Amino acid sequence: MSVTSTVPAVAPSEMAIEKVARFDIHQRIQHLGLMISFIVLVLTGIPLKFADSPVSQWWVALWGGIDVTRGAHRFGAWLIMAVCVYHLVYLVYNIVVAKKPFPVRMVPTRQDIVDFYREIAYSVGLLKERPRYDRYNWREKFDYWAIFWGMPVMAGSGLILMYPVLATKLLPGWVVPAALVAHSDEAMLALTWIFVVHIFFSHFSPGIFPVNTSIFTGKVPRARYVREHPLEYDRMNRPIEVEQADEVPARDI
Amino acid sequence: MNRWVRLLPLAVALAGAAFFFTSQPAAALDENGCLKCHGNPDLKKTDSSGRVVSLFVNEELVNTAAHRFIDCTTCHTNDPHNVATPLTKLSLAEKCGQCHKYEYTQHINSVHGQQLQQGNSDVATCVDCHSATGNPHSVIRVLEYNAPAFKKNISQTCAKCHDNPELMANYGVLERVYESYMRSFHGKAIQLGTYQVSQLDQATCTNCHGTHDIKAVTDPSSSVAGVDNLAETCEQCHPGAGTEFARGFLGHEEASPQHVPVVFYTEKLFSVLLIGVLSIGAVVVVTAGVRFGIKRWRE
Repeated sequence: MSVTSTVPAVAPSEMAIEKVARFDIHQRIQHLGLMISFIVLVLTGIPLKFADSPVSQWWVALWGGIDVTRGAHRFGAWLIMAVCVYHLVYLVYNIVVAKKPFPVRMVPTRQDIVDFYREIAYSVGLLKERPRYDRYNWREKFDYWAIFWGMPVMAGSGLILMYPVLATKLLPGWVVPAALVAHSDEAMLALTWIFVVHIFFSHFSPGIFPVNTSIFTGKVPRARYVREHPLEYDRMNRPIEVEQADEVPARDI
Repeated sequence: MNRWVRLLPLAVALAGAAFFFTSQPAAALDENGCLKCHGNPDLKKTDSSGRVVSLFVNEELVNTAAHRFIDCTTCHTNDPHNVATPLTKLSLAEKCGQCHKYEYTQHINSVHGQQLQQGNSDVATCVDCHSATGNPHSVIRVLEYNAPAFKKNISQTCAKCHDNPELMANYGVLERVYESYMRSFHGKAIQLGTYQVSQLDQATCTNCHGTHDIKAVTDPSSSVAGVDNLAETCEQCHPGAGTEFARGFLGHEEASPQHVPVVFYTEKLFSVLLIGVLSIGAVVVVTAGVRFGIKRWRE
């Protein structure tokens, strides 16, 4: 994959080593927490979906029985909920207390729909160039907002299933079977998306394979930053002009 | 010292051999030597109506049966060659009831027992649930893992009849009760559970419907008839469960536009979402993969 024309004049060897900061420590911890809890939840949740399969029965027995997988699933559930609360607190703190700019780069815009079509068009050969992305491309935004939709569904239905007696004290009885259906289907959606689309784009993409360490180390090689997020890269390296000073702190969260 | 240590394997081998050659399989109590003749698979008789009846008793099964230390004559009377055989399902239940009086009384008043008294031989009686072969000589205790009435096996035992659509249609039972149970959380817990005693608290058919005193769901005194009875039954395992909790149970019927429509439409909504989003994902991944492949191919 060729580097686009906006690359500053830096020697290739230097480019390969030099890295640009992309994620702060909180974002990295949040991703790690999300990843660990998600894997635990999948490992202990999937056998419930396919309970009649001998593989599930073998797998649950390996964990030490259904009581163990149930306990681990609940632990994973509390962990993932804690991570989400951490993220919300982090957002509010950054915006309200630390007075950082509102992270507008994560907000979906019409440009994302255009980029989606352009990306498909590029893939099927109708366009010569990939769309040029800002800090977050449409896939990253989709992954992020999918969690904003998925977490309330999963946590809400999961808590109903965890405390069905309490839930039916407060809500009508049908919420329990409805929660079961929602939890099961949304989980299938989430894990298929994560393990196919998210892994494919974030790790198995050309030029990144086999693993993209940026979310773990917080850093991205400069050359890849230029390729993946050219608009943000340009903005970051633009000389600061006085009249634009208020929009310059390009370090969005 | 060292010399004795070297002899140790020999001692172990000798002890093992002694154990091996002197031990023998447990044998059923057979005070009158009945099995000398009845242990022969070919032993049979022709009764007054001309029917050929096998008189064979499988010694291997008897040796591990719950009643292996009760002599044959306890059930077969002191004049065993002068009894009417084979027994009917009802007379068989009466035999068991001579000792198991409480269970017999419950059974004979249950939906199965009442049909039995009317001469219906479709219904289950003692041996149908307590013996893997439906034979009184191989009845085994409930806590043996291979017992048909062991917790993990009960649903399959009930399914022998209740998962037979033709048989059930005769009684107006149209729901696929076994399948729907297996799809439920209780069924999943049983399927994923082990044969350990710690798993005995999982709910299966009998936990809600009863065992020897099982009643038809149409019987108002059934433990699952009406939301109040059902709630009481739920409370046996879910402390504090009320009637609203019981209403959350869909029964053995799948959600449909007629039956708990909100659950049916929730399922539809999430199926559409699942298929829609994954289709987009598939298109994006496949096209990107093809593009990458073509690029590699050209270079």
